[in-house]
Amino acid sequence: MTTDNTALIKVRDLKKHYNYGAIKALDGINIDINKGDVMVVIGPSGSGKSTFLRSLNLLEEPTDGSIVFDGRDIVNEKINLDEFRERMGMVFQHFNLFPHKTILENLTLAPQIVKGKSKEEAEKKALELLDRVGLKDRASAYPVQLSGGQKQRVAIVRALCMDPEVMLFDEPTSALDPEMVGEVLEVMKELAKDGMTMVCVTHEMGFAREVGNRVVFMADGNIIEEGTPEKIFDHPESPRLKDFLGKVLEA
Amino acid sequence: MTISWGNIEKILTYGNMFQQGLIVTVLLALCTVFFGFFLAFGLALMLLSDVRPFRYLEKVKTDDINKKKRNDFIAKFNPVKLIANCYVQFVRCTPMLVQIFLVYYIVFGFITLPKFTFFGFIQFERFFPAAVALALNSGGYMSAVIRGGIEGVDNGQTEAARSLGMSKAQTMYHIILPQAIKNILPAVANEFVTIIKESSICYTIGVQDIMFNVKSVQSATFIIAEPLLMATFLYFCLCFPTSKIIEYVERRMRQSDNR
Ligand SMILES: Nc1ncnc2c1ncn2[C@@H]1O[C@H](COP(=O)(O)OP(=O)(O)O)[C@@H](O)[C@H]1O
Ligand SMILES: [Mg+2]
Repeated sequence: MTTDNTALIKVRDLKKHYNYGAIKALDGINIDINKGDVMVVIGPSGSGKSTFLRSLNLLEEPTDGSIVFDGRDIVNEKINLDEFRERMGMVFQHFNLFPHKTILENLTLAPQIVKGKSKEEAEKKALELLDRVGLKDRASAYPVQLSGGQKQRVAIVRALCMDPEVMLFDEPTSALDPEMVGEVLEVMKELAKDGMTMVCVTHEMGFAREVGNRVVFMADGNIIEEGTPEKIFDHPESPRLKDFLGKVLEA
Repeated sequence: MTISWGNIEKILTYGNMFQQGLIVTVLLALCTVFFGFFLAFGLALMLLSDVRPFRYLEKVKTDDINKKKRNDFIAKFNPVKLIANCYVQFVRCTPMLVQIFLVYYIVFGFITLPKFTFFGFIQFERFFPAAVALALNSGGYMSAVIRGGIEGVDNGQTEAARSLGMSKAQTMYHIILPQAIKNILPAVANEFVTIIKESSICYTIGVQDIMFNVKSVQSATFIIAEPLLMATFLYFCLCFPTSKIIEYVERRMRQSDNR
């Protein structure tokens, strides 16, 4: 593990317990996320991947430990959570687009009411980004009128409209039909190329290997193994990881 | 007791009174639902509030699990929610008639209302306490509906909004309420139908609604059955079409969800 002082996010001994410790969703996570990292988190279902991701922007309140983001301990210091959350974008498995708003309104609402941008400014940026994911012509559509893959691309753009410093992805392709997975991964790949710091929970091992620069394997609320994609996929050490890889790669 | 055309014709000469009663009933129900809605909305927000003066106890680190449990229990204490809950329970667990008497004889026994009539036949000093009592009651019941409507919006919506940096209030106003209103409005409209019927006990404090005029016609003509039938007919004609219209609008709204 790097102890680099320039790490953007430093996670120390992060714990999330339910029922007074009966369930340990996270059981002491330590990791540094550096600027420009594309960190892929893998692991069996129930291993705490979502909880970890959601703790990073405090959608989940940790039981113990610290998360230092840009030099400030966001768990233990008194900070303005909203100000800090706008610096981290999040993409969910089920898109969570706002169904009562058009695509353009989905993209421009937060920049206007959170960042105080003008409508014109927000729309200009939104249309620019929509164009990049090939959905400019759907700006006035409602979310229900889009396919799953289109929805997820819009959800990514929605987070990007806030100019985040980090993007968190929680299984962004798991709810998609197989033929739509590619278009979403393509957008994520572009983002990585542009140097965005990303933390992605995914079961797409091809993506992990090709785009990730670090892979983290979690099980039972712990990080079991961490390293480059080559190390994790070609030279796994722990039996848990070998077992996991055996199961997913043969599927 | 017999029902005769002759009697019906006789009470129809009092049509004017039934008409006034009808107007009072509808007006009373409208006022009730209007004010009751605001009360219910306030109560719902109180029930959903997160005002916890002792929440810091959650953060107190201790290895003693019983102490931790005790701390968490105290940390859950929310006085705002408690007040709203007590109010709702009071409304639900006491009879409406008692509530109306409490408001009319006790509350407005202390507060003297100006005596005047509006629309020529509605006595403000009776109408107003009735509307207040009904609204207080209806608000208590509707608060559960509104709370349910708000809680019924998918939690992912809140998470998405908060992850974009929106505050709790912004999330509520821009994201949750516009979606919750679709769950809430049909129930509020149905409450209107309910109040049309339930407001009939307001004749006991002298509000000249449909029921009051039934009594008046009965004592003026000594005809018992036909005025009651007339009232039955009027209430039905108010409630049946209204609830059918609500059903229709609700169906249309659901269809437009799948646009
Ligand atoms: N609200 C909750 N109450 C109790 N247990 C929970 C709750 N949320 C998550 N868990 C538990 O925490 C563990 C980790 O969950 P999660 O982070 O969703 O795993 P993953 O995303 O890796 O599948 C699971 O065992 C899950 O049952
Ligand atoms: Mg998960």
